[in-house]
Amino acid sequence: MIIHANETYIILNYGLAIIFAIVVGLIVKLPLLPERPMRDSWTLSAVFPTAIIALGLSAIIFKMVIFDLYLGMVVAIIIGIFSALFTKFLFDHIFPKPGGGIK
Amino acid sequence: MNELIGIAAAAVISWINFVIIDTWMGLPESPGVKGADAIGRSVKKRGGDLAGGFFQGNIVCSPDASAGTLLGAVGCYAIGIPEGGFIAALLVYIGNRLCADPGYAGTTGALSITIIIALTSFIGLNPAYYVVGMVIAILTIQGISHTQASILLGKIAKKMGRYTKIC
Repeated sequence: MIIHANETYIILNYGLAIIFAIVVGLIVKLPLLPERPMRDSWTLSAVFPTAIIALGLSAIIFKMVIFDLYLGMVVAIIIGIFSALFTKFLFDHIFPKPGGGIK
Repeated sequence: MNELIGIAAAAVISWINFVIIDTWMGLPESPGVKGADAIGRSVKKRGGDLAGGFFQGNIVCSPDASAGTLLGAVGCYAIGIPEGGFIAALLVYIGNRLCADPGYAGTTGALSITIIIALTSFIGLNPAYYVVGMVIAILTIQGISHTQASILLGKIAKKMGRYTKIC
């Protein structure tokens, strides 16, 4: 794998999406991390799954959609914000916890 | 790199990746669903280890690091490095939620194998080797001898402090 200049921008965009997802997640009062022991926790937090959703959505958008707004940075920021709001307000309704555990 | 050597190396790396992550995330500690419990107890009845049986049951019943590793490799092969791995991590997480699993193991497995594939691509290990290697790695856990594999998994769980307290 050779990293070209374009790929540097893509990596920067992934970083931006993750940072905005975490920051907006914290603003809408998601906890930074799930409570310990994390492996048994169902709590939605700014790092998990918000950052994972931002990363996955960014990959889908960057791979499938052609964009050139500031080399994709605007798209990355929008994805980050959307991921945080999606996790906070919609995720538990679309993918409820077992036993119908919507908060 | 020679194809056979590449596949063997990828199988070993994938095996270590998913067994360490799944054990660390507590798969041998308890069955996540009834099916995993039934598999664990059946393995124990046949002379295997209960914690190892729970591990095997859990990876059958929901996409844990084994599925994350396989799908991460498939994603990198089909879509590219690292986008395919990131998309796989998201899809594995959604799959986890649908299977009553918090999703830490599967997601971590997909992301870690994406990083590993990106790094080992410099020495000629391509994602296709990891797809085949991971199938072989899962075969050693689920396909050759349930009892022997469960005993090995139980020993690893004991070493990592994740052995089950259920009897």
